[in-house]
Amino acid sequence: MKLNVKVFQFNGCNKCFNETILLNKESDLNVELISKPNEWKGERIDVAVVTGYILPNDKKILEKIQAHTSKIIAYGDCTTTGGVFGLANQKGHEVSPIKKLGIRVNEINGCLAEYEELRTVIIGKDLSKFKPLCKVCKRKSTCHYLDEVHRQIELSENQEMCFNDLGFLCTGYIAQECKERCVDYGSPCRGCKPMIERSGIRMLGMFGTLMGNIEVATEASKYGATDKLADIEDDVTNSLPDIVGDFFRFSLPSSGLPKGRLASMGSLLEDIFIGRLIEELPLITGLLGGSNAISMTLNVIEAYERGTKIEITEQTKKYREELRSFELDLHKAIKDQDPSKYKEITEKIRRIAGNMNLSNVFFGGFKTLVDLNDNFQDYKTNIFSVIEGDYKNGSIEYSIDTNGVIIKMKIMEGKK
Amino acid sequence: MIKEKDYENIVVFMCNECGQGSANTAGVARMNYDPAVKIIPVQCTGQVGPIQIMDALNNGADAVACIGCCLGACHFFNGNILSMHRIKLMKKLFKELGYSDQNINQYTSRAAEGETAVGDFVDIVERLSKAIKEGGKFEVEC
Repeated sequence: MKLNVKVFQFNGCNKCFNETILLNKESDLNVELISKPNEWKGERIDVAVVTGYILPNDKKILEKIQAHTSKIIAYGDCTTTGGVFGLANQKGHEVSPIKKLGIRVNEINGCLAEYEELRTVIIGKDLSKFKPLCKVCKRKSTCHYLDEVHRQIELSENQEMCFNDLGFLCTGYIAQECKERCVDYGSPCRGCKPMIERSGIRMLGMFGTLMGNIEVATEASKYGATDKLADIEDDVTNSLPDIVGDFFRFSLPSSGLPKGRLASMGSLLEDIFIGRLIEELPLITGLLGGSNAISMTLNVIEAYERGTKIEITEQTKKYREELRSFELDLHKAIKDQDPSKYKEITEKIRRIAGNMNLSNVFFGGFKTLVDLNDNFQDYKTNIFSVIEGDYKNGSIEYSIDTNGVIIKMKIMEGKK
Repeated sequence: MIKEKDYENIVVFMCNECGQGSANTAGVARMNYDPAVKIIPVQCTGQVGPIQIMDALNNGADAVACIGCCLGACHFFNGNILSMHRIKLMKKLFKELGYSDQNINQYTSRAAEGETAVGDFVDIVERLSKAIKEGGKFEVEC
């Protein structure tokens, strides 16, 4: 007898929802994808898969789902921890991990969450034990204290040393091994698949310790007649302009931190971007763009390249055009719910962009070699400078300050 | 005793060497300090990380502070400095979330001088009052 599986997409990016199209190729499952859960009439189901981020007013529908099934699988970071949309909680939004609404779930973390794990949990098997990411990472770590912290704008050519040793914040310490493997494509891990509870807070402690050689400001205590930690800005605070985005990118609502009290600057989607750094922008759009992630990421990158006159090569243009055409093919495969076509196209995207989060795509070109026969110099990214200003391309408009922090973001939805 | 105060619990992690040493000296000299201060002994402030600080705040502490050895005098090489780095990052994190950063602090003290510990307690209370004025108490997790 076939298992009756229904996949419910709640809010936000639909990348995990689209990934469940692959379930259609399994002969022992009877799968239905439901993109509007509030219109679902309700019938007995064997397994419910929930994707997308959850808001408190989704509780009623989730309880309805819970009443009709004995197994709910929360698939992807947005559902399990709040995911990248959870960053909007910094501006007072209420993105909530599904467990906080009192729903009993099996959790599969990841952004993008892995299809193989979903398949295993649906058929009722246990997930195999994962190794820590650092154990499988090709880079070698020494854990020496850092003399300085680098931002991703100062890209390093060193492919052998640990990102953290080089001074680039990598949250691989708290992460499990994964399929997306951003570290293999020149992007430090952002910890979408944490191994431990409250991973962001723990990583903050770890990186704070690593920063041991960087000067921290102290001052004489007025009453105690000894030294105390000073409140002024120093090398430690200037090294990390966006701690929330760096350490809590996927876990702010489940981190144990209080809900942010900053003023909202627009929609939930726009609030995610405010306060983030320019070099993190392509990674964030790659994460939350859903089926439009490629065009959204390339729009963001090209806006900055045009505005700051970063030259790009013909080869870069060619690869970007290919990615854009793959995106159109992907839309078609999703519309037709065709698993083999979907798999074929995502593999093509992965070949150029590294993974479905587009880790290899960056300002000025690509971070790692796409094809072994290529001359990497033809499309390699270079160090770029942060230039204050307003940038616009297609449906996206944003402004950055002198420090490279995004202070304004406008996304015209429904427009490519 | 102070009545109806805006704060009840101030958690202070004090290291086994200079931190608790100075508190003991203050006790021997019968110096007064705020009754809201609850001392938690630790081997070195280097042991106290963001997890312990968040646990204290989420379980009812109005302010958290670490008191370690003087700069350059840590009995475990550089634990006090490492703790300062982490607390500095936590302060920035709270600012980024729109909260006051005055309820998490780090101090140093000298074991032979009780007034250094008591002075630090006074400063903690002063900063906490400032934090309360700046935007209310820390709210338990979202």
